Order: sequence, then C-alpha cells, then structure tokens
Amino acid sequence: MAQATESEYVTLESSDGFQFVIHREAAMLSGTVKNMLSSSGQFTETTEGIIHFRDIKAVILEKVCQYWYYKARYLNSVTEIPHFDIEPEYALETLMAADFLDIFILVHEKLRV
Amino acid sequence: MSVDGEDESMVSAEEDSSEDDLIPIAVPVRTTRATRSRTSAAVTVDKSEGFSSKADAKASAASSKKNARKKVDSSDDSNGEDFQDITGYVSRSKFSHKGRLPQGANKIEFCSRCRARFTVKAGTTPATDNSGIGLLCAACSGGSSDASAAAPKAIKKSSRRKIQKAEVECQVPSLQDLCIQKIAGCIEDVEAFGDISDISMAKICKIICRNRSLNTDTIQLFLDPRHTELSLYDCTDIEAPGLLNIAQFCPKIRSLNLIRCGRILDETINYYTEHLTELCSLNLSGPFMVTDAAFIKLFEKVGEQFRQFCLEHSYRFTFKAVTAVCQSCPQLSRLELGKCTLMDDEWLAPISNLTGLTSLGLSYPKDAGKGLTTEPMVKLLLAVGSGLGSLDLEGCVALEDAVLTEAIRPSCVRLERLNISGCEEFTTEGVAALFTDWKVNRGLSVLNLRKCIMLGDDALNAAIAHSHETLDELDINSLEELTKDALVSLSRCENLTKLDVSWVRAMDDEVLERFVQSNLKLEQVVVWGNHRITECCPTRKGLRVVGREGDYVTLPFRRF
Repeated sequence: MAQATESEYVTLESSDGFQFVIHREAAMLSGTVKNMLSSSGQFTETTEGIIHFRDIKAVILEKVCQYWYYKARYLNSVTEIPHFDIEPEYALETLMAADFLDIFILVHEKLRV
Repeated sequence: MSVDGEDESMVSAEEDSSEDDLIPIAVPVRTTRATRSRTSAAVTVDKSEGFSSKADAKASAASSKKNARKKVDSSDDSNGEDFQDITGYVSRSKFSHKGRLPQGANKIEFCSRCRARFTVKAGTTPATDNSGIGLLCAACSGGSSDASAAAPKAIKKSSRRKIQKAEVECQVPSLQDLCIQKIAGCIEDVEAFGDISDISMAKICKIICRNRSLNTDTIQLFLDPRHTELSLYDCTDIEAPGLLNIAQFCPKIRSLNLIRCGRILDETINYYTEHLTELCSLNLSGPFMVTDAAFIKLFEKVGEQFRQFCLEHSYRFTFKAVTAVCQSCPQLSRLELGKCTLMDDEWLAPISNLTGLTSLGLSYPKDAGKGLTTEPMVKLLLAVGSGLGSLDLEGCVALEDAVLTEAIRPSCVRLERLNISGCEEFTTEGVAALFTDWKVNRGLSVLNLRKCIMLGDDALNAAIAHSHETLDELDINSLEELTKDALVSLSRCENLTKLDVSWVRAMDDEVLERFVQSNLKLEQVVVWGNHRITECCPTRKGLRVVGREGDYVTLPFRRF
C-alpha cells in the first residue's frame, strides 16, 4: 500500500502563505481534504501531503484547524462539550471556508475496499 | 438490502447442492449482477472436468439465460419492436435489450484481486492470477504480489450504515452550524461582520439556505436597501413579517427570486404590489397560499414593466391569472410555468398574444386529463415561435410529433435551447424529421432529450448532423434504444461541455475513451446506470465522470 510511507502530518497552506502542519487524522475530518489526500490518482496533494488553499486566509484556516482538533477531541466523548467560539468578524468567511471544506461526505463515501 | 439478500440466497442454494464432486461456480452471481435479473440457478460442473471448462460453463449459463429471456419476449430485439410490445411498466433495472450487446462486443469481468470490474476488449485475453483461475484487471496484472489478498475483507465490514450511525451519534456541531448560530446571534450588529462583497453575500446566502437556516432573523443579513436583486433559495422558515421585510428594506428591488416560499400569503403579494414599484422580474416557487386575486392585482399594477415571470408549484394559479399576465405584461420576454396543476390547453390561447417572448417554458401540466395537447401547442408555437431562443416543454407527455415537425421546424428559427425531456410520445421519425436539413436554424446549443424513451439512433444522428458545431450541453438520459454506433458519433460534437448518458446501456469504456480523446472541451459526463463503464476507464484532467457504478457500490464477490 502506498499509504505506508505517508507521514503522520499534513501541511495546509493559506492564501497568504502561512503553513499549518497538523495531524493527518484531524485534517481528514474534512470531506474535501479527505478526498484530496486519499484520491487514487497521483495528485501532488496525495503524494506530498501539502495542500494549498488559494481562497482561505490564514486567520480563517487557523480557526478551521482549531475546529478540527476540537472535533477530533470531542468526537466520541461522553463528557460535556464546551462551546467553540467564533469571532463575529470572521463568522461569514469561516462559514464559506467550512462550506468548501466540509462537503457532506456520506453520499460520496467510497465504500469499495 | 436486496443485494445482500440475493447473495445469501445464492450461498444457501450452493450449500444445498454440496455434493463432494460438484463445485459450485459463482458465475451466475457475477453475470447477473449488472442486470440484477433473478434467473440465476446455481450452475455446477463436474470436478473431473476441472477449471478449464469454466469458460464453457459460463457460455452455457449465458445461453441458458438468453433462452429464458427469449421465452418472455420471443420477438427479435434488433428491430426494436419488442419495446412497443411491452404495455405494462417494466422496472428499468430488469429491463434489458439483447440488442445492446452486439456480437463480438467487449465483456465486463471482475478482477480477482482488487474486485474491480474491468473491460475485456473483444478478441483479447486478460491476464490471470497465480492460480490461473481468476482474471486480473490491467492495474493488477501490472502489479506484483498478491499477499494482501485477505486484507481487504476485514475493512469491508465498516458498512455504510455504520458510518451513518457514527455520524448521527457524533454530537459535535458542524462548523457551518456554529458559524450560522454566531451570525444569527449577532444579526443586530451587522457591521461586526466586516465588509463582504456582494458576490460573497450571494454565496453565503446559498450556504445558509443549504443548511436550511434561513429564517426571520438571518434574512436580515441579505436585506440591503442598495440591492436591486434578491434571491432566497429556501424561504420555508421565514415567517410573514420576514417576507414583508423584503419590501420594507429593499424598495428598489427589480428582480425577486423566492424558492420554497410556501408561507407567502395574499397579503404579502399585495404588500409587494404596493411597495416594490420597480419590480420587473418575479420568480416564485411553491407559493401555495397565494390566490388568483393577488396575482391579478399584481399584474395590473406593475405588469406594464414586467420582463420575466416564472412560477412553479402553484395549485391556485388559474386561467384567469394567465389571461391577466398576457394582457397586463406586454413586454414579457420570459414566461415559465411549471407544475401548475391547473394548466391545460385553454391556457395556450392567451399566451400566443405574447409575441415578444424569447424564452417560454410550459412544463409538467396537470396530471389528470390530457394536459397540453398537440394541436393548441402547434398553434401557440406558430404564433410566438419565431422569437424564441429557449423552449422548454418538459414533461408534456401528450405532445406528438406534429409539434416538432409542424411547429418547431418551420417557426422556431432562433431556437438555441430545446428541452423536450419526458415527452414520451415523440418518435425517432419525428425528431429525425425536425433536424434533417433544418437550415433555417443555425444549430442548438442545449438539447435535452431525457426520457424521450422511444428515440433511437436515427434521432440522435440527425440532431448531431444538424447541431454538431454548436452543441454545448446534451442530455440523452434513459434513451435505451441507442446503440454504440450513435454514441460514437457524438465525438463529432467538438464544443460539447456537458453530456448526460445515464441509463444508455450501450455506453461502455471504449466510447468514453473516445470522448476523452476527441471531445477536448468536455467537462462533465454523467454515467449513472451505465453498467458497462468500469473504474479502469481512462480519463483526463478537467473531465469529471459522475456516477460510475464502481465508485459508489461495493460489488459482492465471493472467493471460491
């Protein structure tokens, strides 16, 4: 399997050039990122583990990364989930980024093994 | 879960016949997979014959299947008559033409290693695996070890249902919900959101509607007195005051588009009539509560300037209202009435007075009775057809060939977009007659023949011969009569960008490969239900292949 060589981390680069190195598992919570990283074609995203987001600014991408870790942390927890706060000034842009990144994956879930 | 059920019944059938010298062969399961017919009887062969006889067994199984089918319809398929013989409804998954599999055609096989389907080109033999039994697809025969043979089985158990369950149990709110909550929470303080361009605003509106979160609070975000256009895609949750707010906050609106506006009332429309004095384009979908009286009042007051009127899903829009539209809106250039249950032939007479129309849509007339019939439609099109650039007759099931040959052909000279999807009465001859030597028309850019189920090769060939230079979008969904020859000729359409060939069973890897090579502008091919397209088919950058079966379905496959 080609995945054997891949690293535990992936790099996400924002439109203004900031890089965020985060756990692969956390990033995979996004349907879009998951598709980019696990596509069967030989895309550079798949082989190098670096994704450039040309439409997402660093502040927004940071917020999104925070959310992924928040989600990963509380995904199956039974304790009470604290509120995840978003600054109102970023709410709209974060919404657009979230919409792009979190395409509902169930329908497109590739079930073939 | 018919798939699982079938598989299990197959297994039990094989277990019943578990004599020592008989080897169950899973061939019937695999060959019937594509068509899902249930003619499969467990085929067994004598062990002494060995595996070399597998091909023979398969051939005999296939021929016995053919015989079984012949008993059902004993006519020859190649002339297409059997289709007309069928009077009752035939489920599409069980319906099949023998003719769609010409002799010497490519075969679909299943790779014994990766379990993907792949095409065996006519006259070639695929590679086999180490034991010499199972066939291998191109990808696997290039690869090396088969040590990982057992590995995939374990992962397979994570079924779709389990994933769904996990998703439901997951209590972490989605980021979209969090953002929308935040936005709704501080809606009073709009400045806090910072400067957002109009384009982004339109996009945000779509996102919020998709999350079904547009309500009386969040609508405030999109009401800007500067705007002259407003589109709201899901008004289900907006209460009466919210809908009134549209007119209060945006008095300059010229174009208003409200989808799913079931809560809109007569009073709301009356209020719009009074306050939206510049309105010239109105698009409503699902205004169930609005009566004729309110519409007529609207047209009489502001109809003079109306350019565009689209209405969908209305059960109270009557002949009187249509007459009012046609009398009060002389400048109307686009009229679309869809799924209005009262629509019938009577409506067409007043519409023929609207000679300025460039776009006309009359789709899904009333279900009971005749709906729209041929003769009045011919009259209407002869009256208004010369100006039309776009014509949509979707779901007008009663229309016959005369509409094509006697109305569209002579009068619609400027036509660029034609949608006759679901007009089941149109025949191959009619469509061919429309397009053959149709010199007054310079070619269509959008053609939708979806579910015109009688159309055969000649219809498509004539359309391609006429419009192959201009055609941009083509939909031939469900034209089961088409054969490979006609599909191959689609590669003449150089400017084609979107193509829907779903449920055209003759479509296969070879045809798709040809599109990939010759139609360089093609961006999207939709191939739902094309069971002869496998996941091993080549594609290219910029071309999306939507609906390949192998991308979505786990094909049951038992090792033997």
